[in-house]
Formats: sequence, structure tokens, C-alpha cells
Amino acid sequence: MGEIREVRQSDAPRASVTVSAGGARPTLLPRKRRRRDRHSRKKVAFFHYAYYDVAFQFFVEHVLDADYVRLPRPTRRTLEIGSEHSTDYVCAPFKHILGGYVEALEAGANVLVQFTGFCRLTYYGELQEMILRDMGYDDFEMLNFSMVADHPFKDYVSYCKRVVNPSLSVPKGVANMVALLRMVELLDAYNDYYLANAGFEVEPGSFERAREAFFDDMRCATGRSEINQAYRHGMDVLRGLPVNKPAHPVRVGLTGEFYTAIDPISNLELEKKLLSMHVELHRAVNLTNRILHYSEENTRRSIADYVSYEMGPTSSLTIASAKRYMEEGFDGVVHSKSSGCTPEIDCMPVLQRLSRDFHVPTLFLSFDSQTSDTGLDTRLEAFYDMISMRKGRTL
Amino acid sequence: MTAGTPSRKRAFLGVDTGSISTKGVVIDEGGKILARSYLWTEGAPTNAARRVVDELASQLDRDRYEVVSVGTTGSARRLVGAMLGAQVIKNEITAHAVGTTFLHPDVRTILEIGGQDSKIILVENGVAVDYAMNTLCAAGTGSFLSSQAHRLGVEVEQFGDIAATSKHPANIAARCTVFAESDLVHKLQVGYEKNDVIAGLCRAVATNYLNNVGKGKKIQAPVVFQGGVSKNSGVVRAFEDELGMEVLVDPDGHLMGAFGAALLAADTPAAERRTFSWDVDDFEFRTREVVCGRCANHCEVVCVYKDDELIDSWGNRCERGAVRPKAR
Repeated sequence: MGEIREVRQSDAPRASVTVSAGGARPTLLPRKRRRRDRHSRKKVAFFHYAYYDVAFQFFVEHVLDADYVRLPRPTRRTLEIGSEHSTDYVCAPFKHILGGYVEALEAGANVLVQFTGFCRLTYYGELQEMILRDMGYDDFEMLNFSMVADHPFKDYVSYCKRVVNPSLSVPKGVANMVALLRMVELLDAYNDYYLANAGFEVEPGSFERAREAFFDDMRCATGRSEINQAYRHGMDVLRGLPVNKPAHPVRVGLTGEFYTAIDPISNLELEKKLLSMHVELHRAVNLTNRILHYSEENTRRSIADYVSYEMGPTSSLTIASAKRYMEEGFDGVVHSKSSGCTPEIDCMPVLQRLSRDFHVPTLFLSFDSQTSDTGLDTRLEAFYDMISMRKGRTL
Repeated sequence: MTAGTPSRKRAFLGVDTGSISTKGVVIDEGGKILARSYLWTEGAPTNAARRVVDELASQLDRDRYEVVSVGTTGSARRLVGAMLGAQVIKNEITAHAVGTTFLHPDVRTILEIGGQDSKIILVENGVAVDYAMNTLCAAGTGSFLSSQAHRLGVEVEQFGDIAATSKHPANIAARCTVFAESDLVHKLQVGYEKNDVIAGLCRAVATNYLNNVGKGKKIQAPVVFQGGVSKNSGVVRAFEDELGMEVLVDPDGHLMGAFGAALLAADTPAAERRTFSWDVDDFEFRTREVVCGRCANHCEVVCVYKDDELIDSWGNRCERGAVRPKAR
């Protein structure tokens, strides 16, 4: 005894892990790259992400100077493809994005864009590229910003040039990048007004139609002044729509994970469902508040009684926004996440404590590829009944 | 049918169609229960609702009372609501909260374990302020208990009495239905007494509920326990031991959803009220599932027919899949 015997199930080669010095080895096998045709432009596609599709199009057409492949509206098939080729336990956004990529490649895209993030998202681009190549889609390049994350600006430029367009003009691209940031701000500002008022429209569907028209206008914008003009016109139209808003409407604040809380396809049209119950909605979690105007230190300062450390990509913002909603006297807070999202699970005990301290009910929703509409409807209806009855009693 | 004579008093019908059982009550304007019915759904909600309505009709003195509005709740609320022409179709959480706070105005916590779901509702000053529902797993719900009763060869109704005879309840892992079942089999195979296993099962239902549904919720007295499982005195005792406080079980606790639906129906404005004609037996109700082929989403649209006339449909995500009844 005392001897450690190795038990092997089969003679198949075994995986091994070694640590070697130097830079990271590429996970993908080296491939022969197709020779570039000087006269063809790259066709670039993003994944589906709420209304930011409009901004992605501007980025491709005016910053990268390439063709944009606009994805069709995701359907159940998109998610089925995504789920089929993902591990079961990966978060739902991975599946949505992967399904979207397959549809993009079917639509003729040859460059796919993936962002870098503060959670597992950082690895998703590489993993998704491997999965797509295994599926047999080989004629595409990945513009995966994780590859140049934390690099100096010139690396971003050379990466974009290498993958998409070697002749892209840097001065023009930078000017348009500034315009793009403005566009994202305006899209979010427009959406904030939409969420606060669409629940009280007099003519059903009028807000939705106005919003679609606004997005179409934005898509046509080619520069900063046209972006501003589209926004001014869109807001004029939106403000002119008749609404029937009570003096004290039921107000709900939305918060949660960065993909699921924002993307209507992922959260089964949560916002639309709440708006149809005549609720004023606010959602502080958006690109403007998390990326463009964000200070982790100051955000965490505002929740210092509850949080000492940064816990993940949007944890501080999730908690800070929920706290602000509660301080402002909202009737309820809805927290949505993809199931298994660890950073957001960590937020839940804090939100429960906030909920107890401020006496504002919080509804926790978890979405995965199996989540059904019926269960969500029941929970939302019950939540609405609860907060509106409570409001009726206290007013 | 007969027009409402002014001498008849107004009454309200509430039907709660759950996964396992279908409940119905008729109440008068003061909230007193005039007729009650409790039947197994047996997988056929329309049929069960029809039988419930028949049973209520036989109990109710229809010369004295006239049902002027109908409320439905439970997982088949929409279907049964379309069938009965309900004025109010409410989710079961609201119905339970409304029903319970009417009977127990001072209640702070409502524990509810039904056939396939379980929920907790926290109440402050007679208004629900927080709730939670089990999400995916059916562990510790009524259907789990009845399937285990079947395995043990006893009626689920006897669980409470059998559990009371146990001195040393077995420790059963009830985190997951599958694990609980294998643990239960294991305990029986190694020679535990049946009554100890049953008592352990009741205990496991209570702890599992408090650890999952009740997680992070502050449970304060008075506590009311309802839903089908509240009829099981073994689980009630287990809750009392776990919480260290008295747990109230209303004799009509299993009807609370239907009672709440009837109360909500009583709140409908006079303009929407319509005399209920008790004629569901005269019609045939059919449902048909249509898969919308207008995009790749393939929404499953459910159409409800009364004889051959379409009366309602749902399930479509967008306007393109909308199937509307013909305007009458």
C-alpha cells in the first residue's frame, strides 16, 4: 500500500495542462487567410443588441468605412441555433449572440464583431469564433476587441485596418467616432423619454411607430449635425404625441445584467409588457451610463453603506441605480439577469437588503433559453397588482 | 335566460383552475361563501371548470341569488375565463393575497404550496409588499407529495396522521425532487419505519420551501398557510417547528384563490356586470393550437372555440399572428 496507482479508462490520448513562459498561444489553429480582393469591401455584422444596432451601423459605415449587414429580427430559430451549439450552462447572452452570428453569416457577412467585457464576455469572442469554425463556417474574420483590450489606441486602429479595411482614414474615423458617442447618448436619451411615457399613449402603437421612424432617421445620419437633427426631430414628434398620464403614475425602475436587462429579445419584451400595464419605466443601465459617463469610484461612493468592493461588470451600477430608484420613491424595482450570471447573483442579497430598508418591493427575474412567457406574465402581473394596490392605499 | 329580478341578491363566482385541482366558490356581497367546490383537474381544465360550475349550481339557491360577475385565476385562468365569460382574469398571487387579507386582515406572511408551484407573500397593513415564487423545480409541491404517497402505498390525505405517529423523523434531502426520491427509497431500503420517512418528508417540504422560496424573506407572525398541501397536518407541524411560531390554516385555505377571484369579481364596475347564465353545459368548448407561420418564431397561438365560434385566442408575440374573434 501507499503506492499511488494510476487508473486509466482507455488508451485514448489524454489532455494535459502545461504552463509555458511568454505570450499567450493562439487558441485557434493557424489558417491560410484568403487573399484580399482590392475592389471588394468587407461586410461587417454585429450581434443583436436592442436599439444599438443603429449605432453599430454608423460605426461600420462611417468609422470602419465598410458595408453593414443588418440582422433580421431574432426569432426562436436564432436562439435554437445558438443553444444547439453552446454548452448548456453558458449564459443566455452567449447563445443569443452565437445564433445571431450564424444568421449574419447566412446573410453574407464576412466580419463579425465582438466586444470585450468585464466578465466572461472577454472570452466569448474567441470561443464563438472556434465554435463557428467547427460548425464549418470558415470564410469570415472576427473583429474581437478582446484581442486589443487595454492596448494603446494605435493598436485598435491597426487591428481594424488589418481585419476590415486597410485604407480606412484615421482622421475621418476619429471624427466620426466622436459623432458616434454622441449618437449613443442621444439614442439613450430618446429611449429614456420613451420608457417614461409610452405606457400612457392615447393611440395604441403611436410611440412604437414614432420610435421606429426615429431609428430610421438615425440610420440615415452621416455626421454629427445630422445626428443632432434627427434627435431634435424625433423628440419633437415624440413630445407631440398625445398621452394620458395620471398625476401619480406607477413607477418602476429597471436594473440588472448588461445584456439581458437591455435587450428586449433576451428579456422577452419585459419593457413592452410593463408599458402595456401603464407603468412609467426608468432604466439607468445603458451604454451612456455604464460606458460613456461612468465613474466606478463615484458610483460606489453612493452605495458605500452597502458595498465596499467592485463586484463585477455592472454590479455597482445595478445596486446604485436600484438605490436611486428607491430613494426617489419608485413603486418597485425589477432586476433581470441571465440565469447563472454570477456578478448579478452577488447583487441580489444587497438588493434584498435595500428593498427591506426602503420598503420598495423588488422583483427578481432570471432568463435563460428555456424561460417561458407565461411564467413571466404571471410574475409581472402579480408584481404590478401588488405595487399598484399598495400605491392606491398610500395615496 | 331569466332576467335578473330585483328581489334576487347579487352573488359573485370565482374559479381557480390549478394544475392538480380546480376550486370554485360563490360569495355574496358581504364576502360570505355560499357554495364551494373542490375537484381534481385531471388534465382537462375546461371539463373540470364545467364540473365545478355544475356542483356550485346545485349548491346555490338560484332563486335567491344571481351571479353578476365572474373571476378566474390559476394556471388555466385565461382558458376558463374565456369559457365562463369572466370579467376578471387574475394571476393566482394577487387572488391569494386578496382572499387571505380579506379573511385575516392582520396577516403578515402567506405561505402557499399548491400542486405544482409554491409561493410566499409578505403583507403589510393588508397590502402585499413582496412575493416570491418557486422557479423551475417542483420539489416539495403537492404533486411531489402525491407521487411519493403513491410510492409508499398510502393515500396522500393520510400523510398528516401517519407523520404524527413518528418519534424520530428521518432526515430526507429535499433540495431536488430526484434526489429526494432516491434518498427516500434509500431510507426505506435500509429499514427506516414508514411513518418516520413520511414525517421526514413533511419536514423536508417545509425546510425546502423556507430555503428556496422563502430565502431572504423576513417571515413575521401571523402566518397563514394555504394551498392544497396545507391540508397536510404533518407539513403544518413542520412549519411551526421550523418557524417557532403558530401557523394558521383556514378550513377554506385550499379555496383561497377562488375566493380571491370572486372578491375581485365583486369589485367590477356595474357597467361590466352581466348575469351569469349557468349554461356552460349547453356548449362545447374546444381549443385548437395553431402554429403561426408568418416568421421563424413559430408562435403557438391557442384558439378557443365555443361550439364552432372563435371566442378568444392568445400566444402570439406580434400583431401578425393575431387571430381575432369576428365582431358580433
